[in-house]
Amino acid sequence: MSSSEQMATDLQQVLQQGRHRMTPGLSGPQWLSPVRARGAAAVATMSLPDRKQEAWRYSSLGFLDRVSYQPLVEGPFDAILPGDVEDLLLQDSDAVRLVFVNGYLATALTPAVRCCDGATVTNLTAEMGEVPEAVRTQLDAIAEHRHVFAALNSALMSDGALIHVARGVSSAPPIEILHISVGLDEPGIAHPRHLIVLEEGARAEVIERYCAMGDGSYFNNALIEVALGAGSELVHERVQEESPNAQHLSDLHVRLEAGSRYRLVQATLGGAWSRTDVRVTFEGEGAQAELDGLMLARDQQLNDVHLSVHHKVPHCTSHETFKGILDGKGRVVFDGHIVVARDAQKTDAVLANDNLMLSREAEVDAKPQLEIYADDVKCSHGTTVGELDANMLFYLRSRGISEVQAKQMLCQGFAEEILQKIDHPALRARASGLLAARLMESV
Amino acid sequence: MSSSNKQMDALVAKGYEHGFVTDIETDVIPPGLNEDVIRFISARKNEPEWVLEYRLKAYRHWLTMTPPHWSSVHYPAIDFQAISYFAAPTKKPQLDSLDQVDPELLRTYEKLGIPLEEQKALSGVAVDAVFDSVSVATTFRQNLADAGVIFCSISEAAQEHPDLLREYLGSVVPHTDNFYAALNAAVFTDGTFVYIPKGVRCPMELSTYFRINAQNTGQFERTLIVAEEGSHVSYLEGCTAPQRDENQLHAAVVELIAMQDAQIKYSTVQNWYPGDEQGRGGIYNFVTKRGDCRGARSKISWTQVETGSAITWKYPSCLLRGDDSVGEFYSVAVTKGRQQADTGTKMIHIGRNTTSTVVSKGISAGGGQQAYRGLVRMSQRAENARNHTQCDSLLIGDRCAAHTFPYIEVKNPTAKVEHEATTSKIGEDQLFYCRSRGLSEENAVSLIVNGFCKEIFNELPMEFAVEAQKLLAISLEGAVG
Amino acid sequence: MMLSIKNLKAEVEGKEILKGLNLEVGAGEVHAIMGPNGSGKSTLAHVLAGREGYEVTSGEATMDGQDLIGLEPEERAALGVFLAFQYPVELPGVNNTHFLKEALNAQRKARGEPELDSVAFLKLIREKLALVSMKPELLKRPVNAGFSGGEKKRNEILQMALLEPRLAILDETDSGLDIDALKTVSDGVNALRSPERSIILVTHYQRLLDYIQPDFVHVLAGGRIVRSGDKTLAKELEEKGYGWLTGQDEAA
Repeated sequence: MSSSEQMATDLQQVLQQGRHRMTPGLSGPQWLSPVRARGAAAVATMSLPDRKQEAWRYSSLGFLDRVSYQPLVEGPFDAILPGDVEDLLLQDSDAVRLVFVNGYLATALTPAVRCCDGATVTNLTAEMGEVPEAVRTQLDAIAEHRHVFAALNSALMSDGALIHVARGVSSAPPIEILHISVGLDEPGIAHPRHLIVLEEGARAEVIERYCAMGDGSYFNNALIEVALGAGSELVHERVQEESPNAQHLSDLHVRLEAGSRYRLVQATLGGAWSRTDVRVTFEGEGAQAELDGLMLARDQQLNDVHLSVHHKVPHCTSHETFKGILDGKGRVVFDGHIVVARDAQKTDAVLANDNLMLSREAEVDAKPQLEIYADDVKCSHGTTVGELDANMLFYLRSRGISEVQAKQMLCQGFAEEILQKIDHPALRARASGLLAARLMESV
Repeated sequence: MSSSNKQMDALVAKGYEHGFVTDIETDVIPPGLNEDVIRFISARKNEPEWVLEYRLKAYRHWLTMTPPHWSSVHYPAIDFQAISYFAAPTKKPQLDSLDQVDPELLRTYEKLGIPLEEQKALSGVAVDAVFDSVSVATTFRQNLADAGVIFCSISEAAQEHPDLLREYLGSVVPHTDNFYAALNAAVFTDGTFVYIPKGVRCPMELSTYFRINAQNTGQFERTLIVAEEGSHVSYLEGCTAPQRDENQLHAAVVELIAMQDAQIKYSTVQNWYPGDEQGRGGIYNFVTKRGDCRGARSKISWTQVETGSAITWKYPSCLLRGDDSVGEFYSVAVTKGRQQADTGTKMIHIGRNTTSTVVSKGISAGGGQQAYRGLVRMSQRAENARNHTQCDSLLIGDRCAAHTFPYIEVKNPTAKVEHEATTSKIGEDQLFYCRSRGLSEENAVSLIVNGFCKEIFNELPMEFAVEAQKLLAISLEGAVG
Repeated sequence: MMLSIKNLKAEVEGKEILKGLNLEVGAGEVHAIMGPNGSGKSTLAHVLAGREGYEVTSGEATMDGQDLIGLEPEERAALGVFLAFQYPVELPGVNNTHFLKEALNAQRKARGEPELDSVAFLKLIREKLALVSMKPELLKRPVNAGFSGGEKKRNEILQMALLEPRLAILDETDSGLDIDALKTVSDGVNALRSPERSIILVTHYQRLLDYIQPDFVHVLAGGRIVRSGDKTLAKELEEKGYGWLTGQDEAA
């Protein structure tokens, strides 16, 4: 086999190699086997998405033709010591932390996790403790294999956090899931898989972060499932700061029962190619979802967010605000799809997408969609694309602020609406600092 | 005339060469589509050779295509071999008096306030001497000719203005554009050709209604309007009166070309037969409409009121190529019963300082299904381009549906795009307020819906706007309660 | 002279608006510039503040002998030029306090003065708030976003109080204000009058001049100052309108 043939990624091959090289010990406990089998079966029947498919119209997977990703089946990287990752950690954070290196739990970096009674935090491979039955039954019950990457994750999932909060329990402190990717000689593809289950009336705050040591090339193919019982509430805060040469795909599936509340705020700042698919399904009345995101795309970055919100039952509310900042040859893709089913009356859905273009070479492709089959609903969407407002710039400069600083202030101001929704002070500070630093390099 | 007959004979003879045997005097040819049918149509119309070549090229391309599936409309597969592709223009049965006309149709005419003689003309009753549409049309033609405006059927244009037709036909909607545009290019029956010379402001609103031969242009209509530098024209298509037609599939193509400083305003009222309550027999209206703002400061404005057809599938679009050119799309679409509409626009900004405005008002009642589908593209060159899009849906009843699928592609930072969409139902408090002031529920609905559509009606030529309002009220009769 | 404008000509989008304007403003003086709509009043204000798109084609404008025209807007601000906008701009997401502090410190830095820390700044801004009777919570909101018309104008005067310019240009500050708001804003401006600070009031109506007494009144018409006088000129204008002056201009 010549090396040029090695240059493209064949997902079927990744599957075969991954399954073959996965040692029995690492493939996790027996209860994962049916999930893996289902995933593998699905991968075998699926092909790579192409741009003729509506959901991939603007997201080219061309990088798969240029790099041959190998399944990451080894880990954990115990060689990495706490001191090595100091600058990746949140400062003054009260959160308990699970650290995954290249998709596997790094026990050396994960101090004993202590949560309150009624909250269980463990991992797929059960090194951190037994997996409650309630969690086992939910794994893969919320996700849908909408594309081959999701199926591949089910087949090859390496490791991940399993969080369960019992009925009526308000879990404290916040739980942080930190991914650290270390570039290897051979670019690898990792499949982190997380599951968050909140029973009736439970409450939790989960922080999910993606960081890199160095600027290696790798592909993070994450899948996260969230099941919210009646009246429960989850605050889900995600910051993606992958390496500038990384590919990142997050497939996030959320199921809401009656009266539950889900608040997602995310900042996707890194990666060469980044895509987040969020699928929210309302299964019970009176539930609420608030989804907010900040997307930064500069240099040659592609930052893609696909939202799919299904109002299957009446009296639910979903509000989404996603903002993009583009510089260089950056590209933002935003696809927001709200479906209101027949009889899902009194649905309140508002989708907003605003994009700020700082460069002549950037590109925004936005597709805010409403699909409505009920009449007594309040639904709207709005999209704007534009550059920095000349009036605002002039106003700041007329007050003595330099042009560069004025631009930064306005970008920061534009992003602030999203960043201020991050509850966790340390995370908010980190996201805000990262944004400021990246804007400083750009503007 | 005799010389053109000879030409026709010659072409027909040529048709025979290819083994096609049919009587040239026949009004309808058997169903089916092949190259011989196309040769027959072309021969029957005595077309120049290049038109036939154009048709055949389109036909051969069409054979390689499949019907589009991406829209939200649902209908059984169409058997294109079951359609007859030529019918002589005498299809409507001639009736002796209005007594023979469907009373339901007459009631609608009355509500629309259409004068008696016009009612006769519309329903195919022989028109008496008082209202001679031919002579009316002749008067208009004289006025237009004095201004230098060409306003004729495509068939006439092929004979009398072949150079103009050849230059512009298919230059905006190429025969390869889409499945139905390709089909139309292969088999178009007739249509309208308008040419406004440089600097001329067309002295009147042009309407197919006043054109000889306009009735029954067939199911594959073709319209081509060319506005030369600095000229202005307003064109009205369709009619508020319900149009019955036995052809289920209508696949028209409309091409507009505006040169520097030229303005074209194209208004449509579409009220084709929507089918019965089960949706049987309604028209499939699959139209490709596109305007090319070729010159600087040119302007193309599409206004449409779509209340008819079982299925409407159309996206009147603008290619904004000239700097400072302007594209507009104003639309009201009503779907009720089993009607489906998938409509919207494409605004392709290529030139600098180009602006486009899109206002779409969709009203769904009963089991009506409706989607706005639009594209706004700001190309890299489109410096300071602007777009504002507003899509509002109004829902009446809990079995209807309204969707919005906009695509926004921006490659220029100085371009500014704003898109807003809302979906709401008629407010109960609004209805109650109107009713407590003495309005019937239907009148209240009509009042509110007309308010909802006001922006669009303002864009229609005045007398058309009045009719459109009435039409809307009639369309929504019985939609509430 | 604090401000000296000589034969200033300026264009907007290729159209000449200022057609040879002359104006001298001494330190501590208050000048009112009046004139009909479209006479070039706002253009003058924007030209002095350095707005892009307002192109000076000839003439000069100097402050204490230093040329203004070649300077960036922020450089002019650092020199002490302040424009109170007719339509203050909304800056969604930009916190008002943060904005004010950044502006003040940028100017201090440019002048070689030490920057104020947060504590010193907050103390200072509280003093200034009282001057314009502005609610402190407006400091926590994004700049001008969701402010009422009166609140926006007060915010402009607050900035003037804070930044302590040497030349303040108030562009139609009275427009859109009710009588109470007008009084508050005027009181604020009057409190900021000082021998070191010159003020140019750009206004269409005489009303503002009942509250802020000018030393000089100029009438701008057709891009030039066609008449100058003391405050009695404003009264005369109120009685006769602008017609008799602009008519005179056409005759000349």
